[in-house]
Amino acid sequence: MSYGRIQGHLSRGEMVLLDGGVGTEIYRRGVYWRSNGIERNPEVVRQVHADYIAAGADVITTNTFQLTRRSYLNLFHDIEHMRHIGPEGLENKAEMLVRRAVELAREAREQSRSATAGEVAIAGSISPLQHCFRPQLAPPNDELRTEHGETIQQLKESGVDFLLLETMNNIREAVVASDLARTSNLPFWVSFAVREGGKLLSRESVAGAAKAVEPYGPEAILVNCGPIEDITLALSELAGATRRPIGCYAHIGRYHPPSWKHAFFPRFAETDQVPPEKYLTAAGQWAAMGAQIIGGCCGTTPAHIQALKVGLPKSCPPRQASRSVGAR
Amino acid sequence: MSYAAVKTRMERGEMIILDGAIGTEMCRRGLTWEGHKVESEPDAIRSIHADYILAGADILSTNTFQLARRSFLNHFADLEHMRHIGAQHLETCAAGLIRDAVQLALEARRRSSRPAEVAVAGAMTTLEWCFRPDLAPEENAMRAEYREIISHFKAAGVDLMLFETVNHWQEAKVALEAARELDIPAWVSFVPDWRARLLSGESVAQMVCQLEPLAPDAILFNCAPPGDCTLALRELAKHSKRPFGAYAHIGRFDPPDWMFTGEYPPEKYLEAAAEWVAAGAQIIGGCCGTTPDHIRLLKDALPRRAAVHA
Repeated sequence: MSYGRIQGHLSRGEMVLLDGGVGTEIYRRGVYWRSNGIERNPEVVRQVHADYIAAGADVITTNTFQLTRRSYLNLFHDIEHMRHIGPEGLENKAEMLVRRAVELAREAREQSRSATAGEVAIAGSISPLQHCFRPQLAPPNDELRTEHGETIQQLKESGVDFLLLETMNNIREAVVASDLARTSNLPFWVSFAVREGGKLLSRESVAGAAKAVEPYGPEAILVNCGPIEDITLALSELAGATRRPIGCYAHIGRYHPPSWKHAFFPRFAETDQVPPEKYLTAAGQWAAMGAQIIGGCCGTTPAHIQALKVGLPKSCPPRQASRSVGAR
Repeated sequence: MSYAAVKTRMERGEMIILDGAIGTEMCRRGLTWEGHKVESEPDAIRSIHADYILAGADILSTNTFQLARRSFLNHFADLEHMRHIGAQHLETCAAGLIRDAVQLALEARRRSSRPAEVAVAGAMTTLEWCFRPDLAPEENAMRAEYREIISHFKAAGVDLMLFETVNHWQEAKVALEAARELDIPAWVSFVPDWRARLLSGESVAQMVCQLEPLAPDAILFNCAPPGDCTLALRELAKHSKRPFGAYAHIGRFDPPDWMFTGEYPPEKYLEAAAEWVAAGAQIIGGCCGTTPDHIRLLKDALPRRAAVHA
C-alpha cells in the first residue's frame, strides 16, 4: 500500500477515517507502560492496530509517539552519565523501538483478515521532541532538525506510507519538522494540539499555524489532542485558513499522569463520559464543517472508530470557507 | 524513636543503619512504578518498611520520591491547561499522598517489635528530576515549594527530613533553610559523579562551605554506584566535621524502571560499605536496587561504632 489511495479519496472529496488512540488503548489493555509496550507486549500492540483495521480505519498510526533518543537521555545528566549508570544499548534503544513499531503496524496489516486491509495506509507518527503538552520546552532549531531528521529517516527506512506530524504544540517546531518531512519525499500531514479557546498549546493561533506550514506542502492539516469542544473551535478556524484538506481527532476523558514520569504517559480517566455514539455526534458536526479526515486521539477505542465508520457520511460537503478563499 | 535519640547515638559514635530501596523493591516484588501505590497497595508498602525494620534499619524513609505538586503540573502547558484537561485532584493529590505514605511508615514502625528504636525520615528529592541540576527552578520558587512540602511531612509526623538525591548545593541550601525555619532536623544527601564531585560538577569542598552555616545534621551521598560513593566520601571526610554517610545504588537505571544485575550481592555491598566506614562514615544504607538482605548484612557485619575521624 502506498499513499496513493488516500490521496485519491481526498481529491474526490471522500471521507478518510483515521484510527483511534494507540498508546491509551495499549495501556487500557493492561500493558505496563515501558518502551511503548513494544518490547514486552508486541502482540498487544499488533492487535490494537488490527482492531482499528477491523473497525474500518483507512489509516493506522505507528506506536512511535514520543519515542526518541531524547526521551531516554532526558532522564540522565548527560550522555556520559547515561553510559555510566544506564544499561548497555540505551542510546540506540529508541531507534530500535521505532523500527520495531513500524514492523508491528505492517504485520497487523498483512495478517488482517479484513477484505480492505491491504488498502490501509501506515502513518509514521512524529511528536514534539519534548513532552507533547509543554511547548515552552521545545529545543532550539538545530536540535529539532537533527533529532526529527533521525526519526523521519528511521520511519522512512522502515516502510511507512506517509508521515503524521502530530500533537505539534508550537509553530516553530512544526515548521522545522515540515521542512524535514518535505525533504524526505514522503507525503505528510501536520496536526496541531489545541487547548481552551481552540488555540495551540503555545497560545498561537491555528490560522497562523496553518499558514506557516502550508508552504512546505503538507497533504492535509489537522488538529488533535484537545477536548471535543476545543477541537470544534480550532477546526472552524482551520477551515477558514487553508484550502488544503483538513481533519481532526479529539481526546476524550481527562489526562491522568502519575507523578514521577517525565514523558507523556497514556492514561486518561473518565473516558466513559464520551461513548462511541456521543463521539459520532461531534464527528458528524466536524464533517459538516468540512473535515475530511476524522479519527480519535487519546482515550478513543476501536469501538469509537467503528461508530464513525458506520455513522459518518462517505463523502464530505464542499467547504464554504475554501470556496470563498478560492474565489478571492 | 525521636530524632533526639538518633542524635544521641550519633554523638556517642554509634553506627546508624538506614533502610534500602523502596521504589525498586516494589518492582522486585512485582509491583510497578506507575504511582507510589500508597492508595492501591498500602499493605505491600507497609510490608517493605516492616522488612527493613526486621533487617535492622534504624531509619525508615518514606515512599514519597518526587511527590510534589510540580511533578503533576510538569505534564501540562500550565495550570490553566491542567485544570482544563487534567484529571481531578491533580493539584492537591501530592499533599494527600505524602500524608498517607508517612502514615504507612509510622504504622509499620508501630506494629514492629522495636518501635522505640526506629526513626522515620521524610524522603524528599529535588523539585525537578534528580539527575538534572540544569532544570532546577529559581530560588524563590524553590523556597515556597520546599516550605509547603516540608510542612506536609512535619504535619504527618516524620522525625526528620532526608533531602536525598540532591544534585547541586543551591537547592540543598534552600531545603535546609526551609527545614530550619520549620524547626525539623534535616539530613542532606547528594548524588556524586564519578570524580568525587556533585553531579552538577560542583566541588564537595564548596558544598560543605556553603551548607556549614545551616548546620545540616548529616551529609550523605546516594544514588550512584558504590565506588563513586567511596570517592566522594573520602573527599567529604577532608572537609566536614559533621556526621556523614552513604547509600549507593546497585544495578542499572533502565527507564522507566530498574535493572537488577546481581553484580552486588549483600556480601559484596558490605565490602563497599566497609570502605565507607573506613573513610569515617557513620550512616550507611542502600539506594536503588538494594534489598532487606543487604541491610540485614550491614546491620550484622558492620562495626557497631564508627571509625574515629580527624
